[in-house]
Amino acid sequence: MEKAKISAAQLFVLIVLFELSSSLLIFPGQSAEQDAWIAILFGTVGGLALFMMHHFFYQVNPDASPYKTLMNIFGKPVGWSMTFIYIVYYCYIAARVLRDFGEMLLTSAYPNTPIIFANGLLIAVCIFTVRKGIEVLARSGELLFGIMFWLAVTGLILIVSSGMIKPKELLPILGNGPGPMFHAVFTQTLYFPFGEIIAFTLILPYLKEKKLAKKAGLLGIAISGLILAFNVALNISVLGVDLNMRSRFPLLSTIQTVQVAEFLVRLDVFFMLVLVIGVFFKMSIFMYAVTEGVTVLFKLKNPSKVVHVIGIIILILSVSIASNISEHVKEGIEFVPLYVHLPMQVILPAFICIVTYVKMKKNKKKAM
Amino acid sequence: MRRSVKIVLLLAATVLLQGCWDKRELTDLLLITAVGIDKGKDTEYELSFQIVNPINVTGALQGGQGEDRPPISSYSVTGNNLTEMSRHASAKMSREIYYSNTNLLVVDEKLAKEEGLIKILDALDREADFRTTATIIISRGQKAKTFIRTLTAIDKIPSNKVNKTLQNTEKHLGENMKTSVQDVIKCLTSKAKHPIISSFKVTGNKEKGEKMENVQSTSPEAIVEADGLAVIKEGKLVNWLEGKTARGVLWLRNKISRTYLTIPMNHERDAVTFDVIRQKTKIGSHLKNGKPAISVDVDMEGDIGETTLPIHLDDPKVLSDIERKVAKELKNELQNTIDIVKRNKTDVLQFGDVVYRTHPEVWKKMEGEWSNRYFPDTDVDITVNAYVRRTGLRNNPNILNHREGRS
Repeated sequence: MEKAKISAAQLFVLIVLFELSSSLLIFPGQSAEQDAWIAILFGTVGGLALFMMHHFFYQVNPDASPYKTLMNIFGKPVGWSMTFIYIVYYCYIAARVLRDFGEMLLTSAYPNTPIIFANGLLIAVCIFTVRKGIEVLARSGELLFGIMFWLAVTGLILIVSSGMIKPKELLPILGNGPGPMFHAVFTQTLYFPFGEIIAFTLILPYLKEKKLAKKAGLLGIAISGLILAFNVALNISVLGVDLNMRSRFPLLSTIQTVQVAEFLVRLDVFFMLVLVIGVFFKMSIFMYAVTEGVTVLFKLKNPSKVVHVIGIIILILSVSIASNISEHVKEGIEFVPLYVHLPMQVILPAFICIVTYVKMKKNKKKAM
Repeated sequence: MRRSVKIVLLLAATVLLQGCWDKRELTDLLLITAVGIDKGKDTEYELSFQIVNPINVTGALQGGQGEDRPPISSYSVTGNNLTEMSRHASAKMSREIYYSNTNLLVVDEKLAKEEGLIKILDALDREADFRTTATIIISRGQKAKTFIRTLTAIDKIPSNKVNKTLQNTEKHLGENMKTSVQDVIKCLTSKAKHPIISSFKVTGNKEKGEKMENVQSTSPEAIVEADGLAVIKEGKLVNWLEGKTARGVLWLRNKISRTYLTIPMNHERDAVTFDVIRQKTKIGSHLKNGKPAISVDVDMEGDIGETTLPIHLDDPKVLSDIERKVAKELKNELQNTIDIVKRNKTDVLQFGDVVYRTHPEVWKKMEGEWSNRYFPDTDVDITVNAYVRRTGLRNNPNILNHREGRS
């Protein structure tokens, strides 16, 4: 752990940027069709519950890295391997996010660029930031959050004023009954993006005001959930369900329909900025989680040295996890949530928390 | 040592930071303003491009150069799919084809009838440069190629003329509407599935249209004008809607903003013209014996445009009589429209969509056979409320005083 502190406001900003980033670009909960926004709201509730769980674990030892707490509770061999599994998991998710970024950039604007260059440029920035530490990341978060907010407001005004919103596209609400909607919650929206909040267990120990962790976290998740649900509802009401399902990047298609006063057209750049800012933070936070894990596992004195290695591993992983965009997306919707996210975000943390709880009770009895 | 490393890095940066990989210079691009698609002779399609000659578009103030040359050029290529033709076009053009400014897609009538739109729309939907907000029209009575090449007088770029004409006529008459490629794709995949697309024709001497002489005369020999609505069913053009029927469709889709209605009065036809200023149409759906029924509510406001009868327009009773008659007239017009589209079995009014949104359970049973079986039998109940607000600058018509003076 480095000697750094971040404020509760910075934590909040990081959480919002983290949750929104790549989930703004794709269509989370798409199997629920026009009820996807409801699925996201339920996913948010699940995310809040998961955060409470992580918060419980954080309170066991609020000053130490959770990897260390893990080793204290489970002993060295088990704790070590759990940490290792999490490092691999974070690496994989970071690679997925990076791949999303690259695919999107190449599809919409740079068809002639090899993907490794698009991804490489972003990872270079992430390596640089993670080397500088959490404080720098948090401060840049505050700055870029403002820009993102401004972009969102302007974008919204333009979309509204071009008269493209047709709220009736959202009807009928729950036309197929609540079944598909809840299916979407438990197979998609709960894990992506809300379950990914688990990476913040690594950031929480740096918080200056320990008591505000819960408040900042819950508020961050709730607000990003609302924004996300609104975004999906907006995309559906502009594009209609079918076009949304067929769009690789619905928000991009929505923004492309903006036509105000005959000259404000093709505002793709808004989308690009949102994309780059969001993905940069998500990547950086995952990379930070990996770096910290490696530092603890191999007892490194200078963590900043391994950042390059991790960055290059993620970069190579990002271009090699899938051979085409459909494979990448299909894995992301069907395989990853159930076989990767569910165990890593819900089952394993729940197990850890239960064991911790039992141990704490025992210790208390012994003390008495 | 360290210093040399830094220098090498700096030099490397100058190579790496040279800008985008995918840079495109303005001087290397051909700005395509319109694309026309025809059926080819031996191949599937023939693609025609309308390309801006930037130097010839500049206004008179910027100097006379280029005034004698046309503001657009056009090339055609043949091939079996759009990508193939786009690529083959490079053999005829010195610059890269750039679709971002394309705001018009012209589809040939024959192609739309025989092969349909579905195949050609895929490539356009997929392409990142092409904007699906571009307007789509059907070229009626001539090949899309001819249409693309026809020069227009006031708007130098013909594709702009088409777009502006559509906007203008949609706003003031309401017999045509501007439909974007995206609207059509959305409609094809929605529950209603029957898009309508405005069609255009070239009247006059079609061959003269592509010559500069066409725009050098006060009455151009070839004129581009909007003409009816094409109805698309299962991706193919099935029939046309024109005049009052076309307006009725737009009315039932709540697209009308200004238009007129003429009513008979005192046994005289076309006696009073009602100038519609604004209107609102609401389509609702309710269940009647387990079957969906549609209710249409129209509220419209307007002024008296003109009258040929000696009637007292300063009398509120006369005005409320006119209101009733106008409402009745519109009701008949809408009823006629509904009868016609029901007979054609084309749900261009998007009633299916309304049923789906309000009664999804009922819709599920009907979805497969909606337009052929259920739609023609659906009950439609129309209510029209008309309000005459003003009578223009005069109250009574001149004809009234004229007659009274005589007697």
